[in-house]
Amino acid sequence: MATVFMKWLETTPRDYERGIRLLTLGRLEKLHVLLTEDFIKPGMRVLEIGCGTGALARRMAGKGANVTAVDVSPDMLAEAQRQLDARDLAGSVSFEHMDATLIGERLPVAAFDRIVASLVFSELSPDEQRHVLQNCRWLLAPDGRLLIVDEVPPAGFLQRILFWLVRAPITLLTWILTRTTTRAVRSLEVLLRESRFRPCRLGSRLGGSLVLVEGSPLPEAAPAFDLEQAAIPRLRHRISLRSLLVDLWALFLRVIPPYPKVRPGLYAVGHPDTTSPVFVSGNFDLSVRRLVRELDGKVDAWLLVADSKGINVWCAAGGGYFTADSVIAAVGSSRIESIVQHRHLILPQLCANGVDADRIRGEIGWQTAWGPVRAEDIPSYLAGGKKTDAMRWLRFPLVDRLEMVSATLGLYAIMILIPLLIFWRPLFWPVAISLFGLSYFYGVMLPWLPGRDGLVKSIPLALIALAGLFAYVTLVNPLPPLRLFHWTIGLTGLSVFVAAELQGMSPFMRGEQANWGWELLIGIALGLIYWLVPMAVGWR
Amino acid sequence: MNKPPTFWSSLWEHVEIARTLRSLRLYFDPQMCTGIWECYEVCPVGCWSRDLERGIAVLEKPEACIACGACVLQCPEEAIELR
Ligand code: SF4
Ligand code: SF4
Repeated sequence: MATVFMKWLETTPRDYERGIRLLTLGRLEKLHVLLTEDFIKPGMRVLEIGCGTGALARRMAGKGANVTAVDVSPDMLAEAQRQLDARDLAGSVSFEHMDATLIGERLPVAAFDRIVASLVFSELSPDEQRHVLQNCRWLLAPDGRLLIVDEVPPAGFLQRILFWLVRAPITLLTWILTRTTTRAVRSLEVLLRESRFRPCRLGSRLGGSLVLVEGSPLPEAAPAFDLEQAAIPRLRHRISLRSLLVDLWALFLRVIPPYPKVRPGLYAVGHPDTTSPVFVSGNFDLSVRRLVRELDGKVDAWLLVADSKGINVWCAAGGGYFTADSVIAAVGSSRIESIVQHRHLILPQLCANGVDADRIRGEIGWQTAWGPVRAEDIPSYLAGGKKTDAMRWLRFPLVDRLEMVSATLGLYAIMILIPLLIFWRPLFWPVAISLFGLSYFYGVMLPWLPGRDGLVKSIPLALIALAGLFAYVTLVNPLPPLRLFHWTIGLTGLSVFVAAELQGMSPFMRGEQANWGWELLIGIALGLIYWLVPMAVGWR
Repeated sequence: MNKPPTFWSSLWEHVEIARTLRSLRLYFDPQMCTGIWECYEVCPVGCWSRDLERGIAVLEKPEACIACGACVLQCPEEAIELR
């Protein structure tokens, strides 16, 4: 059920196209025309990074260029390919599925006359931006040029205020309509200069907030690297108002995007040096802070935060959002290789279902080990140098169960209780109390309820709930038959719903979507009983 | 080329994936196993144990398997299959 809501939140390629057009008020296209008309010539070899649905790639192919276009999203690429085929340009663009940070490893050196990136740099973390620019230098042929179209904050103070006044409502509207949003790259020109490109602004739209910038590569400066100067940010365990608010959000509403994220990149925990261990983690804010809470003050280590799209590593790895590529990209785009002397990564064990450790070893030559499942075991894991079985196995203790019940309930509360509050107020409190009561009871009792599957567990849950109801009726307060009948139907329905849906919260039994058919059937059956039995028996 | 996914088609896909996930069973071919125990390292529910004498893995508790796929992905010999 939660999946239904989350599907709506997901951006489809079509939404993305509409969203971007709306957000940039159609001006992005104007810059694309300028870029293509003035800077792309027939026969040029062009690489487009982050092509999305391929509008710009098609335009450049139309001008006669040989375009290689890469994007991280298979959905976007499928849509791009579809639109290309529909336009009879097939063959002039080759689409490849690739993270922007991996272009240096997967594409031939000095093979492109133009590298084009439209609204891509704003999506990358500073480390990734530097890494991608560095790779662009390698991929560009002599006399090649980098062409970047991106959002930047407008220059003057007044322009900025004006910009936000216009921008805020458009952003909100666009998000509601298409769940698409963009960010501005701070100081694009500075970034280019730092990576040894000479920037030159070729055009701008929307009051200077959407720009086309050309970068021509300058000769490379001698690399100077020094641990002191590197200024790797340090993560510490601190409780602040922000962390408390994020915790509260995460407790009840964590299944709703945008997931609180940590910027991917390299971080220090404690005071690590060139021999300290390197831990890899995803970038779900809560996971990173919990990890830091367990490590800070106890161990000195490097923490390499890889992009898991803000999702916890297990779900991200299972869903294909966190792969060997994510880890390889994180190693490549951070400066870890020049910081530590060893080549040894400690990966979270729970990403083993999606991160192929063999590929990491093969492609970048780092050794890998699987760390403990729970962050609290890391200090003793490092101290003993060994992983015990207890560190390897999942547990689902009471605290975690209650937390996961809350996390699942938050969304249901919104989806069920708000409509009730608006349309069917008398039902609000009975349903709210039963829903929360049953859910937490289920969370507490989970290990002792028989059955390995939510639907089976719903039978004992419903029986217990009904036993409670009948005890109440006989001992405390007798109800008239019709009300008792309604309560019975209601509690049975909610028990089935709670048990079947909350199945997804347990690491031991997922796949609650497979229950939907049965839930629907049981719901219809209960509905029929609700209507027919009182008529047959003559209660009114 | 396939049709682009719609809201309902991708929802249905979720149901299908969940169904497949439930029906998956683990198959282990001890003949192919070389005993590096990567499966034992990554299984979060302790399905695997190590036969130190024969130097191969033993699928000790198949009933505990939650079909997470970790051992399948990490086994370099492709000795494990979920289907
Ligand atoms: S990972 Fe594969 S080869 Fe290694 S012990 Fe397990 S089954 Fe055998
Ligand atoms: S699929 Fe997952 S749970 Fe099943 S045996 Fe392999 S690692 Fe263990």
